[in-house]
Amino acid sequence: MTGPDLSRRYQTVVGVGVCLVAIGLGVGAVGIPSDAGYSGVGPNFLPWLVSIALTLCGAFLVYEARTGGFRDMEGGDDEQPYWPGFVWMSAGLLLNAALITTIGFVFSCALCFAMATRGLRNAQGPSSGGLRTWVLDAVVGLLIAAPVFWMFTKFLAISLPGLTQSGWI
Amino acid sequence: MEIWNQLLQGFATAGTPVNLMWAFVGCALGTAVGVLPGIGPATAVAMLLPITAKVDATASMIFFAGIYYGAMYGGSTTSILLNTPGETASMVTAMEGNKMAKSGRAGAALATAAIGSFFAGTVATVVVTLFAPLMAEFAVKLGPPEYFCLMLLAFTTVSAVLGQSTLRGLTALFVGLAAGLIGMDQITGQARYAGNVPELLDGVEIVLVAVGLFAVSEALHAVLFEGKVVESENKMSRVSMTRSDWRRSVPAWIRGTLIGAPFGCIPAGGTEIPTFLSYATEKKLAKGETLAEFGGKGAIEGVAGPEAANNATVTAALIPLLTLGIPVSNTTAILLGAFQNYGIQPGPQLFTSSSALVWALIASLYIGNVMLLVLNLPLVGLWVKLLKVPKPQLYAGILIFATVGAYGMRQSAFDLFLLYGIGVLGLVMRRFSFPTAPVVVGMILGPLAEAQLRNAIAIGEGSPLIFLQRPMSLTLLVIVVLVLLVPRVVKQFSRRSIVILG
Repeated sequence: MTGPDLSRRYQTVVGVGVCLVAIGLGVGAVGIPSDAGYSGVGPNFLPWLVSIALTLCGAFLVYEARTGGFRDMEGGDDEQPYWPGFVWMSAGLLLNAALITTIGFVFSCALCFAMATRGLRNAQGPSSGGLRTWVLDAVVGLLIAAPVFWMFTKFLAISLPGLTQSGWI
Repeated sequence: MEIWNQLLQGFATAGTPVNLMWAFVGCALGTAVGVLPGIGPATAVAMLLPITAKVDATASMIFFAGIYYGAMYGGSTTSILLNTPGETASMVTAMEGNKMAKSGRAGAALATAAIGSFFAGTVATVVVTLFAPLMAEFAVKLGPPEYFCLMLLAFTTVSAVLGQSTLRGLTALFVGLAAGLIGMDQITGQARYAGNVPELLDGVEIVLVAVGLFAVSEALHAVLFEGKVVESENKMSRVSMTRSDWRRSVPAWIRGTLIGAPFGCIPAGGTEIPTFLSYATEKKLAKGETLAEFGGKGAIEGVAGPEAANNATVTAALIPLLTLGIPVSNTTAILLGAFQNYGIQPGPQLFTSSSALVWALIASLYIGNVMLLVLNLPLVGLWVKLLKVPKPQLYAGILIFATVGAYGMRQSAFDLFLLYGIGVLGLVMRRFSFPTAPVVVGMILGPLAEAQLRNAIAIGEGSPLIFLQRPMSLTLLVIVVLVLLVPRVVKQFSRRSIVILG
């Protein structure tokens, strides 16, 4: 399959996805009471409207995708995605979400930083060094995360999770 | 005279050391996010929204406003020096500014951009000072039907007119409206789409959506597609303008301001149209040697005009935001969210109910513009250094701040997973050229528009004909239709005439 065919297939998937969301909204709208009170339209009016409009949009998107692809697209479809980098960054973000309450903001964010940097570095070219860069990235991550933590918790009184109760780490 | 007194009061409030500090930090931060690729004013304000829980309303609005227009100054620095466009607003600046920088005139381009921004920003602030109170007085007379039509106009322009594809714009708008539906209905208190998740009853946090759509998706896009992009930086030269530069810049600044300010006043959003119009005007007026510079060595008018237009538009855009409560861009939508966090609903009553806040905000615009001129002319070298931050560390660092914004709002780790999900959604949208502004505007304005719609129909005793019976709302509806149709007719017409001529 050639490039344009493939991207049109993805576009169809996007269109179908929009339709599915719309149908989901419609299903949800069934359960919302229509009691309008004094106003002519009730709380279920906008949900129905959005659901129907999104269905139409989705259908049109599928139609465009099947007939030559989305219209007026910006160029740049030919770039090849670099999936390993995406996996690194995703893992960093998800681990951050999973660990932030247990190991605290500073360490969790430093970990996320190191993993995201790793992904971005690899995306730029062949892997640049091993342990040394890992340590360097982790240290830079700590050096950014710790002051951010102090600034937001101490000066702006926004509560972020710490590892200890001391409020410093 | 009353305006004058209130403005002086505003200066007294904005001039306290604490508020001056907030303005300065806001301007500096705004310039920094404007300079840094991958993060814009909307993202920065969204990430910092959690501070609304602790910092008082006046201080934080001064701070956010500083970020908002500071980013406009910073953005031009990047678009002149770096060969990749930063935020959309400075894309036009990049066309000529880049050419000037390549032919060794980076300094003059930076100077005309900064001084032009200052000039236009200050003039537009005067416009805000004079017209916002008048507009508020007028807006008090508007009822729900008129408000609904105004919001409809904002929805239409942000989704169907700006951007490349009406279909994708509308899809994005309805996705935003759908996100706005989640939670408690404003009028009846009916829960919608909340499932049994207590967090969802309060609705989806705007911070999550904005930070996810802008910051996280930007980082994901960078790691997936931008690894091999090589950026080159143009050489700096001394930041000054010759006599001839001044002679050519001043009229362009004035024209740019005249084009930009009216565009900001109407709820029709976006800086793309005024900046481009200004560019086209300058090119049209150019003769002889100057015309040859356009697209060649780079014409200074092509930087001065659009930069002035850009700043005039974003400053004047505060008028519809403050007096009508209608945002028309990502950043103003998030500013509206910030007001809402304080339980303040921008609208005509704002000038009476929160008069001190509004006037302090307006006064801070004057102060901020002066600060920014200093930050961007003598100190421009400092900001240029930011362009040297390596990409991996920059994007990874942005993720740390994204975590602060998303977690700090509700202290829920669940939100961080949601943030990632929204980031992936943003990545898909970006990949398939869906605009993001309609999502944010739809999500924030959707619930307000719905309430106005239902109130309006209640006024019409259940009949939607109410929209056609009131002259003002009818006029607005006609404008909405025109806004939708005119560009299409013009396109069709020009296509036909090309066929005939060809």
